[in-house]
Amino acid sequence: MRRTPLPHRRQLLRSAVAGSLLFPGIVQQLLADDGDKLAAGLPHFPARAKHVIFLFMTGGVSHVDTFDPKPALTRDHGKEIQADHPEIKDRPGYERIFLKRPQWDFVPRGQCGTEISTLFSHVGSCADWLAVIRSMHTSHSNHYNATLGMHTGSFAFSRPSLGSWLSYALGSENRNLPSFVVLAPQQTYAGTQVYANDFLPAEHQGTLVVPGAEPVANVRPRVPAERQQMELEALRALNEVHLEARGADAALAARMRSFQTAFGMQRAVPEAFDFSRETAATLESYAVRPGQNAGFGWQCLAARRLVERGVRFVELIDTGSSGNWDAHGDMLSHEGLARNVDQPIAALLKDLRQRGLLDETLVVWTTEFGRTPFNNTADAKGREHHPWAFSSWLAGAGIRPGIVHGASDEHGLRAVENPVHVHDLHATILHLMGFDHERLTFRHAGRDYRLTDVHGQVVREILA
Amino acid sequence: MPGVHEACRHRFRRPTLTGSRLTAVLLVLILGQTLSAEDDSFEKQVRPLLIKRCYACHGGTKSGGGLSLETAEGWRRGGESGPAIVPGKPAESLLVEAISYRNLEMPPRDAGGKLPDEEIAILTRWIARGAPDPRGPSQRLGGMSLEQAKSWWAFQPLPSVTSPATAERIDQFVQAALDERGLPAARPADKRTLIRRATYDLTGLPPTAEEVDAFLADDAPDAFERLIDRLLDSPQYGVHWGRHWLDVVRYADTAGENTDRPLPHAWRYRNWVFEAFNRDLPYDEFVRRQISGDILAAAEPARQRVEGIVATGYLAVARRFGHDIDKDLHLTYEDVIDNLGKNFLGLSLGCARCHDHKYDPVTAADYYALYGIFSSTRFAFPGCEAKGQPRDLVPLLDQAEADVLLADYQRRLADYERRMEVYPREAQRLKRLAADARRVLVESAVGEGQSVSLHEGSLHEGSLHEGRAGALARLALRRGEVLQLVVGPNGGHGADTTLVNWQIVQTDGQPTARWEVKDLIPGFTQRGPLLHVRNAAWCLLDVTDGPMYLRERKRQVAGQPALSAWSLGDTPSVVVNAADEPVAVWTTLPAQSVFMHPGIMRDVAVAWICPADGQYEVRGAVADAHPSGGDGVTLRLEHVAAAEYGQGLLELGKLVTGEQTPRPEAPEIPVAYAVSEAEVKEARLQLRGDPEQPGDVVPRRWLSVFGGAVVAADGSSGRRELAEWIVDQPLLARVMANRVWQWHFGRGLVATPNDFGSRGEPPSHPELLDWLAARFQAGGYRLKPLHRLIMTSAAYQRASESLGPQAEADPDGRWLGSFRRRRLTAEEIRDSLLAAGGTLDVSWGQAHPFPPESGWNFTQHNPFAAVYESNRRSAFLMVQRQRRHPYLALFDGADPNSSTGLRQATIVPTQALYFMNDPFVHQQAASLADALVAQTDDASRLRLAFQRLFQRAPTAGEEQLAERFLAAYPGAMHEKWSAYARVLFSSNEFLYVD
Repeated sequence: MRRTPLPHRRQLLRSAVAGSLLFPGIVQQLLADDGDKLAAGLPHFPARAKHVIFLFMTGGVSHVDTFDPKPALTRDHGKEIQADHPEIKDRPGYERIFLKRPQWDFVPRGQCGTEISTLFSHVGSCADWLAVIRSMHTSHSNHYNATLGMHTGSFAFSRPSLGSWLSYALGSENRNLPSFVVLAPQQTYAGTQVYANDFLPAEHQGTLVVPGAEPVANVRPRVPAERQQMELEALRALNEVHLEARGADAALAARMRSFQTAFGMQRAVPEAFDFSRETAATLESYAVRPGQNAGFGWQCLAARRLVERGVRFVELIDTGSSGNWDAHGDMLSHEGLARNVDQPIAALLKDLRQRGLLDETLVVWTTEFGRTPFNNTADAKGREHHPWAFSSWLAGAGIRPGIVHGASDEHGLRAVENPVHVHDLHATILHLMGFDHERLTFRHAGRDYRLTDVHGQVVREILA
Repeated sequence: MPGVHEACRHRFRRPTLTGSRLTAVLLVLILGQTLSAEDDSFEKQVRPLLIKRCYACHGGTKSGGGLSLETAEGWRRGGESGPAIVPGKPAESLLVEAISYRNLEMPPRDAGGKLPDEEIAILTRWIARGAPDPRGPSQRLGGMSLEQAKSWWAFQPLPSVTSPATAERIDQFVQAALDERGLPAARPADKRTLIRRATYDLTGLPPTAEEVDAFLADDAPDAFERLIDRLLDSPQYGVHWGRHWLDVVRYADTAGENTDRPLPHAWRYRNWVFEAFNRDLPYDEFVRRQISGDILAAAEPARQRVEGIVATGYLAVARRFGHDIDKDLHLTYEDVIDNLGKNFLGLSLGCARCHDHKYDPVTAADYYALYGIFSSTRFAFPGCEAKGQPRDLVPLLDQAEADVLLADYQRRLADYERRMEVYPREAQRLKRLAADARRVLVESAVGEGQSVSLHEGSLHEGSLHEGRAGALARLALRRGEVLQLVVGPNGGHGADTTLVNWQIVQTDGQPTARWEVKDLIPGFTQRGPLLHVRNAAWCLLDVTDGPMYLRERKRQVAGQPALSAWSLGDTPSVVVNAADEPVAVWTTLPAQSVFMHPGIMRDVAVAWICPADGQYEVRGAVADAHPSGGDGVTLRLEHVAAAEYGQGLLELGKLVTGEQTPRPEAPEIPVAYAVSEAEVKEARLQLRGDPEQPGDVVPRRWLSVFGGAVVAADGSSGRRELAEWIVDQPLLARVMANRVWQWHFGRGLVATPNDFGSRGEPPSHPELLDWLAARFQAGGYRLKPLHRLIMTSAAYQRASESLGPQAEADPDGRWLGSFRRRRLTAEEIRDSLLAAGGTLDVSWGQAHPFPPESGWNFTQHNPFAAVYESNRRSAFLMVQRQRRHPYLALFDGADPNSSTGLRQATIVPTQALYFMNDPFVHQQAASLADALVAQTDDASRLRLAFQRLFQRAPTAGEEQLAERFLAAYPGAMHEKWSAYARVLFSSNEFLYVD
């Protein structure tokens, strides 16, 4: 499928009454709700999922300490190895490298028995719903590039984000909320590029929600509601005179409608982030205190509420470009970072399932790369960036539950069995949303672009 | 300048490809064939006909009905209806049947219609002669066959123009296209509409009420022409049209690599562009300078030389990539080549990085031939995480000028250092003096995040030497003695930002005199590390090896204008927040606060020199203000009971703070973010675009489709030749004339302004485009006459009304029956809001208030990020690559990462939210309300508002609407009018130009 952008300047409607466009009725017609804009786009084939919640852990989560158990790494702790690794090439002090054992225990969880470390004991309680991929790999060992790649499929240049592609492909289900929402306390690596529409039409850019008192810019009215209504009424009157003098101009009418939508957003957006109707038990499960308006638990609960309200793609980013999972100094920092997200993620999965939303929502948990199973001394406290192997998991709509897919070698150094590249993960997500990643393209600068560039294969083994 | 180019011309191996010679050169060059007489007749008559009339559907990748007429093989094989030509037998040839409109009709009526009789005769005669066709099987050049490449419409020479440069000629072309489709044209726009349209169009700003009145009152036939001239003479013209250019060259004020480093000197290029538009620098020259200005101007006088260097900022502002820019330079070269191709030639050359172009006649070898030119060029280096400091910035003074400045500086520096020799000796003497006369009043550790009072008992027991409270309440001091508050690192290593509050009160004076460290805040940076306050003096010191003044001045610590410091190196330092509100940086610094920051193993001190003998009381507290940064600090309050110590500090201070000897500052040599010549380095082909997979060396040369001339072997990069090759292409004028047309009409004659290749749109009015391009070229590539030509056409001056039938036949307005209504651009919206609020500053911006380079420590974890507010025109806003300016992103501003040929004009509800709730809109509305309220009555208030925003008077109906609103809206008059101003700002009439 190739979709061209809607003509945004002057989309003139053909009159039902043959010929003239200048009947007053046409103006009314233009101002009426434009069903087409709202209608969800048509997928290539029946979709398994209607929504995606994308959980992105910034900084590089160590796979061998979380979702990829490596007894051999414990056994061979301290053993010197050789590797032509991008992070140690020409790096002083890294002439020799030694295996370094995992610091947390792995426990078989659920009926399926998937082994998950104690860092994620709450997520472990949902093991029977997860498809864990232990053979992820990526194309760059730098945060910036790997983060950009995980979001856009491009490791250097700016390209549209995964969420933008899906917004473009499917549109929104709720006119009062954006189709692609990013909840992040801070900017991650590569800044706004990770949720940018780039060359896709602007309505597909991710709307940034910064947890706090005013989560979306300019959504809080600056004058009391009745005054604002008077202003909007005066605006409508002024614009109607203007429009009637100019005949049928779809852009002018669309802009008039945009104020109605904006007015609705002022209610709908705060309503989506207002947890006062959530039960104490729900709040507690997410580790959210009443009145709290930040924190990863808050982000997770907000994600459920956004999905309930028809938002297509919700991304949750846990931390910013510093103070994150980038544990060069000490792996023990994983402890606090995991504690921050573990219970909320499990609560989200359980909440979605209990409400029947997990059947139509795909949940993806990932990071930009893993961490080295070695360091320059065996007793080094930290681990370095590792693009060769890491772990991600998926759960929910269309996912085969309770499985492990692919494997890294015995030390977690390389993805050896059924390797899954970032492009493959993207192809799989698009597939679950009903799109063939090779056919979802956009013509830009003389070329048909797609999320997966010239790569990508759907990981069929993890599909239900 | 012409002299230089004449001279160059002889040295370049530059084929002049004109007319049919293009064909011949290509054939000889690539196929190595020569032409026979028979071939010659085919080449002169038949081939051009086939190209012009048939190839669009039966050539290249297209073979309508299965038929290709691009090769002899093609017509022999024929299409679905069999062979197209039977040699020698026109009557039996389907081709003749079709072009004669018997049974078949070719070309179809909607694709040009039946051929003129003489053309039918040429083809018929050729077939009768046996259809001799020298064209071999199709050879390929990148994504096109050779046939297609050399016949590609956009590569053809421009026609020679004989008709005068009049707007009537434009209207003839436009009218012909309308007539052909039976489309009507709208009536001419009224004068009010016209002046609003023209003023936004040429300056990006609304006309003032006076300008509108003057124009409406001007009945002379040439009133509109004079209006255009006035607007073209305005300095705001260059800002607006220069900004169009910055869209195309993806200008930004940051580098785009992983830390998104600021480019503090890029503004010189930006302003040069604006200024070049204002003085109508011929476009060919404009292009030459951006590619090779440094080389062209090398021998010129200083001013031109500077200009030449600054112009190459075009190349320098290319995007940088990665952690270490030097390792990802191949991506920067791609960015350069890609932009160069789209920008000047409308060709997507970047596609050929990994493989031959799939659709256009560009090969990977072509790409690496250009690559070598740029790898032989030195690009200014903005710094990056791996290599912190910028380098290779190009000095804008020549060596002699710089030498004079430097020599003077070195002389003054030597003089200063000679006088300063006394300093370390004196510091040592004072150190000994202090050691002998020192009495420690208070000593304590300050734990992480802890606050310790000097006075009120929060000290650990036993940490005081003697009766603390009593001693601090009754201190007998003599004139010249010193109280010294020392903060040191705890445990000998860590160091922390330490908040100090310290007051000294003379209890026996009349009246009571009082000093506190906050006295340091006003004028902190000007007054230096020795400050006199009410006869006493404060000294900011490193006391580790004797008192050494913190004599290095730091403004804008961490990029914050409110923070300043005195230090020795990075630390120790004394920092103040002079703002009336807290500043959050590495930690939160409260409003109006003073901090001491020890260094590694270095103690920082604030000393107070007693002004008169008497009784004094001391209070205060010291707090570790950066709880996560280490293990706390130590504090020590000392009394140095030796008047000679205070005297010594004052003498030393005079020496340092420049009362006697200011330390000379290094001369600032202005630099440009630009390029210069480097050692020649030919490129190797990179297989699949991967620099780790090098192929053969590709000599530096021009694109093979345009002749493939090679760079002279004289040790230069080849940029000079490249500029000439580009300027010689007919594409140069076609692409730019099309851009100019597009920026006037909202849609180009070619709707894909950056793509004139086979994936782009063909021109809607090919003859008009060629005529415009030829006029542009013949007029010496000047833009201002081109604007006049276009704007004086009837097509430009039509009303933007909807025309019923046309609306159906021409939904996107390509046939120009009426003028396209357009939404204002992001910059125009903001500038218009500022203008309406009466707060617009039309002076030109220069450098952005970036933090000084010496303090940069950006990493990918902590990249540069800032938004600078200003009331200047939006073209001067700081544009960041990694984090888009939130306002510009909301209203479809240009993409700072790749060329924006055409802005989008989306309508999204978040834009409506901006008009409803953004503080900036509310501010401008309040500001407009100030002016409105000053009027005498509501009628004149409304008139003024309408004039500022819409450049017209309100109608009776609009007056009634306003009256009703104002009567009903609660609040004082200013509130009512602020609200109504917001309504008007939000209106479609404000946002759209008819």
